[in-house]
Amino acid sequence: MMAASPALKLAEKRRPVPVAAAAVGPVPAGEAEFLRQVGVTGMLREALLTVLEARPEEPVAFLADYFEKLALSRAEETGGEVPGPPALQQQRLDRAIWYLRLAHYSQRTAFHNNVSMAYECLSIGVKKKRPGVNGRIYSEVLRRICREGEAPEDILSLLLKKIQCRDYEAVPYDVFRYSTLTCFVLLEFISKANSLYHVLDDSGQADKRVCQAVLGTLGEAIMASDLYVPTSYLEAGSKLRPDCLALAMDKALLARRPSSSMSRREFLSEAAVLFLTKVKPIN
Amino acid sequence: MSPERLSLPGEQYLAQRHVLTYIEDAVSQLLENKEEVCQYGIARFFTEYFTSVHQGTHVLFREISFIQATPHNRASFLRNFWKCFRTIGKNGDLLTVKEYHCLLQMLCPDFPMDLTQKAARIVLMDDAMDCLMSFSDFLFAFQIQFYYSEFLESAAAIYQDLLTGKNPNTVVVPTSSSEQHRQRSTQSECSPHDGVDAPVFYQCLESLCERYKQSCPPPALIGEVLSSVHRLTFYGFLMVLSKHQGINKVIGALPERGKLLEDTTMDKTLENLVAQMSENSISGPATGPLTVQPRELPRISFPRKPLQHRPRTDLESDGSTEETDSSEN
Repeated sequence: MMAASPALKLAEKRRPVPVAAAAVGPVPAGEAEFLRQVGVTGMLREALLTVLEARPEEPVAFLADYFEKLALSRAEETGGEVPGPPALQQQRLDRAIWYLRLAHYSQRTAFHNNVSMAYECLSIGVKKKRPGVNGRIYSEVLRRICREGEAPEDILSLLLKKIQCRDYEAVPYDVFRYSTLTCFVLLEFISKANSLYHVLDDSGQADKRVCQAVLGTLGEAIMASDLYVPTSYLEAGSKLRPDCLALAMDKALLARRPSSSMSRREFLSEAAVLFLTKVKPIN
Repeated sequence: MSPERLSLPGEQYLAQRHVLTYIEDAVSQLLENKEEVCQYGIARFFTEYFTSVHQGTHVLFREISFIQATPHNRASFLRNFWKCFRTIGKNGDLLTVKEYHCLLQMLCPDFPMDLTQKAARIVLMDDAMDCLMSFSDFLFAFQIQFYYSEFLESAAAIYQDLLTGKNPNTVVVPTSSSEQHRQRSTQSECSPHDGVDAPVFYQCLESLCERYKQSCPPPALIGEVLSSVHRLTFYGFLMVLSKHQGINKVIGALPERGKLLEDTTMDKTLENLVAQMSENSISGPATGPLTVQPRELPRISFPRKPLQHRPRTDLESDGSTEETDSSEN
């Protein structure tokens, strides 16, 4: 019922909508030229490509945000109202994080593209002699990703211990990509573990024995998987089969020991430890 | 997260969310204000444009073709209409079709009369068109009519065909005018007051919904409405739709009926405004000759009854100095 969607031709969008055309009169060819000259055409093309890559749920809000960031970076480039160094760095950090969040990591190309954008954006801040991201900024980025994903602090510090670089070290792009990806996967892992706990816990308390049985099975599955052995994925999957898991839980319940409970926090951090054992330390 | 959008082809994704509609509109707006925009910064202009689209203020004072262009625009217009004129509902004023139409034209200068009239027809059940209507009755009827107008047009055609005993599936012409259908119904032997068989009507609407996809009321809710009766008339059907909370929620522009007149943030700003106005009207005469006639004040329509008397009492108590005013507050 709504207006027929215009064909996706980048050339099309330079033409104003018919309503406006009626109000302004016939569109002179000069307008297209004008839009090209002042950079509207290129700007919109890039914006559209970013939207298509990220596929946000609400593209309009996404575009508002996108142009706001763009306006900020323009102001920075032209030197108008340059904020002091700390503020400048904060802005760069914000923008890098924003890039990293644009696309879910499962959308490989988009995510990798955004990681490199974030990396580039952070590199500008360093003295021209040594381009690259240093360890301090790198840790800050990882910390921000985890905090905004509401990962518990103790898990965060365990992760950072594994993938930390020294403050003065230059961080190569590969390390940067590996670590940011690890953070995002960890966040998702934690949220999955959280919903797992939600299932285990009835009436506000989860039985410790059952929790441990589940964690044990999960651990076995994780340990069995090996990046370089494709069949190990199948093996891991089969270890987590519903009947396999149920068997383990059943066994745990049958062993009649005095029952105690396990808090969500404990459960999450134990699950996270399982995950972290698979994280390869850098260096 | 709807994963479906991630697998759609790019063109379909953009079309589904009307991204290009807004980009085109943004460009034409930019071209209309070239000079200012270039000075101000193009990225900033786009930031503001998309922020206002997101907030729904972008449809204010725009032409009807733009307002009708996307579901988001329609919902935004409904929301703006409600926010601007809800005080009428608060005062309990009853207005005629023409008066409601004037209000709509304040927000959209070329708003067509027939849309207003159709909404009024739902409230008045297609009878006695010069009757007075309450704000909330009109608003909810208007919402259904405005948001789903194309769907309702087709539904009306189906209804008329059922009424005249034709097979509706062969003659659904969304563009055919309602006048024709009305003539046809008066010619038929069946009295229009009997209405049509609800289950049959539902079957036809169900297949209609498939064609309209997103821009029709959820078929499950239509089924719910139609399953409770055996026969119904078209305006009876629209009336129930307009009062259905589930559909109101799906559109998402208006709060539920009971909360239509509550808005604490708006009340506060309103109170501040009234306070400011009363201050100004006091300080005015204090500085110069008395220009504001006390008799004129009550005519400024203060939307809330308890507040309506405040400026007047301020004036009567001795409106010549600011000190007395501030001590009263």
